[in-house]
Amino acid sequence: MRDKLARLGLDLPILPTTTVGSFPKPPELMEARSKLLAGKISLEDLRSLEEKATRFWIKKQEEVGLDVLVDGEMYRGDMVTYFSENLDGFKISGLVRSYGNRYYRKPIIVNKVRWRGPITVEWWKFAQGLTEKPVKGMITGPYTMMDWSFNEYYSSRKEACLDIARALHKEVKALADAGAKIIQIDEPAISTRPEELEEFAIEAMEIVTRGVDAYFINHICYGAFEFIYPEMLKLPVDNFDLEMSNSELDLVELFKKHSFTKDLSFGVVDVHSHIVETVETVRKRIQKALEVLKPEQLWIDPDCGLKTRTVDEAIGKIRAIVEATRMEREALSAR
Amino acid sequence: MRLLTANTGSYPRVGDSPEQQRLRRAYSSWERKEISDEEFKRVQDETTKEVLEEQITAGLDIVTDGQIRWYDQISHFCGKFEGCKIDGLLRFFDTNFYFRQPVIIGRVIWRGPVVRDEFIFAKGVSSRQVKPVVTGPYTLAKLSINKHYKDFNSLLIDFAEAISNEIEELAKAGAQIIQLDEPAILKNEGDFEIFERAIEEVSGKKRNAKLALYTYFGDASGLYSRFQDLPVDIVGLDFTYSKNLADVIEEFGSKKELGLGLIDARNTRMEKEDEVLPILMRVLEYVEAHQAYLNPSCGMEYLPRDVAFAKLKNMVKIAEKAREGLK
Repeated sequence: MRDKLARLGLDLPILPTTTVGSFPKPPELMEARSKLLAGKISLEDLRSLEEKATRFWIKKQEEVGLDVLVDGEMYRGDMVTYFSENLDGFKISGLVRSYGNRYYRKPIIVNKVRWRGPITVEWWKFAQGLTEKPVKGMITGPYTMMDWSFNEYYSSRKEACLDIARALHKEVKALADAGAKIIQIDEPAISTRPEELEEFAIEAMEIVTRGVDAYFINHICYGAFEFIYPEMLKLPVDNFDLEMSNSELDLVELFKKHSFTKDLSFGVVDVHSHIVETVETVRKRIQKALEVLKPEQLWIDPDCGLKTRTVDEAIGKIRAIVEATRMEREALSAR
Repeated sequence: MRLLTANTGSYPRVGDSPEQQRLRRAYSSWERKEISDEEFKRVQDETTKEVLEEQITAGLDIVTDGQIRWYDQISHFCGKFEGCKIDGLLRFFDTNFYFRQPVIIGRVIWRGPVVRDEFIFAKGVSSRQVKPVVTGPYTLAKLSINKHYKDFNSLLIDFAEAISNEIEELAKAGAQIIQLDEPAILKNEGDFEIFERAIEEVSGKKRNAKLALYTYFGDASGLYSRFQDLPVDIVGLDFTYSKNLADVIEEFGSKKELGLGLIDARNTRMEKEDEVLPILMRVLEYVEAHQAYLNPSCGMEYLPRDVAFAKLKNMVKIAEKAREGLK
C-alpha cells in the first residue's frame, strides 16, 4: 500500500515505526482524576494536565524517532467506555469482574446509538499541531463496542454492531475532514465469534470506512486472529496490526499457506512484560516477519498499547523498536 | 412434572454498595499482607453467606455458593493438582472475563479435595439445597497448555481421574446434585468419543448423587441427542446461543432431567415472561423425566450484582407461572 500512502502525501521510510495507541499516564494525571471526582480540582485543571502529558509524549516519540505518532490517549480511560460515554444510546453498568480482584463498569446499550458530535477530533488536532510527523486518528471499532457492551435495545448483535458502525463512520469522517490521513480502528474482540466475521463484522467495517480517503489500520490483539485467517483479509482496511511477540503462533507457517495481502504492523515488543527487549531480540523478530512479507508491507510497533508499563519501560521499548528498525533498514539497503 | 429453580454456578461477589465491596477491599488488603489468611477467609465466608441469602431471598429452590472463593473456573482446580503450573491470563471463551491458564508440566494428580470444604460450609449455612459445581475434565484439559503428555487424550484421562475423586468427595459429603461444567465440548464436537469416556470415568464415582452435565457458551443442538446417552442424570443447556434447541428437544425428547438455561446470564436485559414461558412450556412437554430445572444460561458473574438478583427474582416468577400451567 505504499502507493496509497504516497497518494495521501505521506512520505514514510521503509519499515515505518509506530505505536498502538496508549502511553502510560504520569502519576500526577492519575491522581488528578480522583481529585476531580473528589471536587478538589476543576475540569480545566484536569484538561491542562492531560495536555501537558500529551505534549510530553509527542516530544518523547519525536526524540526517540518514531515515524507515525499517537496522541497517547492521556484523556481516555477504558477504550470502550470512553466511546460509549461520548455516543448517544449508552449508559454504564454496575461493577463486573474481569479477572482476579479486578472489576470494571460495562457499557449498556439502552437506546439507538447515535453520533452526537466529534469525540476524538479536538485531541487529534491538538496532538497534530505539536508535530510535523503524522499523528494517527484512533477509534474503537464497532464489533468491539458491541461485544464488550450489554445490549438492552437491539434485537441482535448484528443490528447493534451495524448501528454503532454508522455512528463511528461519522467520527472517522470528522477525523479525515480535520486532516487525519492515517486512522486506526481498534478491534481486539473481532475474533471472539469467528462466524460473525462474515455474518456482519466485515459489513460493519465497510460502513465505518466507506468513502473516507485515509490509510486504515485495524488493530487486533489477544493473538486469536488465526481463527479468522484468511477470511479477515476481506476487512476493508490497508494494514493489520497484530499482536505477535506474546503469541506462540507460527506466522511463517500461517502466511505460507495463505499469503498475507495487506500491510502488517508487526508487534515486536511485549507490552505485558516489565522487561525491555534487547535490540537484538527485536531485530530477530523483524527478520522473522521479513521471511514471509515484503519490506514494503511491513510496519514495526509494540504488540498493544503501552499504558500498563512505567514511563521508563515504555520509552525503553520504543527505543528498542526504533534502533532495531534502523539497523534492519541499513541491512536492507546494503543488499 | 416438577419444575425447580436453580442457580447455574457463579454469582457476582461484589456489588455497587460499600458493604457489597467488602470482599474486594479485603482481597487487596490480603494481597498487601495487611490482613491474615484467617481474616480474609472470614470475609469470604461472610460473602458466601450473603450470596446464598440473596439467592434464597430471590426464591430459588437450589442455590450455589457463588464460587466467590474462586480466582476462575480453571485455575481453582488446576492450581491444586500436581503437574499443573498456573500461567498468564487468557480470555474465558467469548466472555470479557479472563482466567489463568494452566501449563501441564508433569503428570496430573489429584492431591486432595478442592471444593469439598467449600460445599460443606455452604451447606451448613444454607436453608436451601446447595449444588456444588466442578469444572469438567475435558474443559480443564482443553484450556491447558500441554507440555508433558504425548497426546491430548492421555492428559484428558488423568484429568478425568482427578475430577472423579473430587466428585466422590462431594457425594460422600452429602451433595444431592453435583454440576459438572463442560462448555468446551460445544465447539469441539469431533472430540465427543474421548469426551464420553472422560464423563464415564467421572460418573463412576458419583455414588448416590445426581450428576448434572452443564454446557454453555455455544449451541448444544448438534450434541443434544448424544448427551442423552451419557451416564449423567441431568443435562443443562444454554438456550441463548441456539435458535433451534427447543425443536431438537421436541424431536428427541428427554429421558433425563433437563436444566433449562432460558435466562440470559450474559446480558442485563430483563427477560419478559412472554418470551420465556412459551418455550419453557413447550420444552417441558417433551421431558419424560419427572423433574426439570429453570436456571440462568451460565454462571451469573458476567452481570452486575443488582441485575443478577433481579434476574433470579424474575426467573422465580416465571417458574411460578409455569407451575400453574403444569397443574
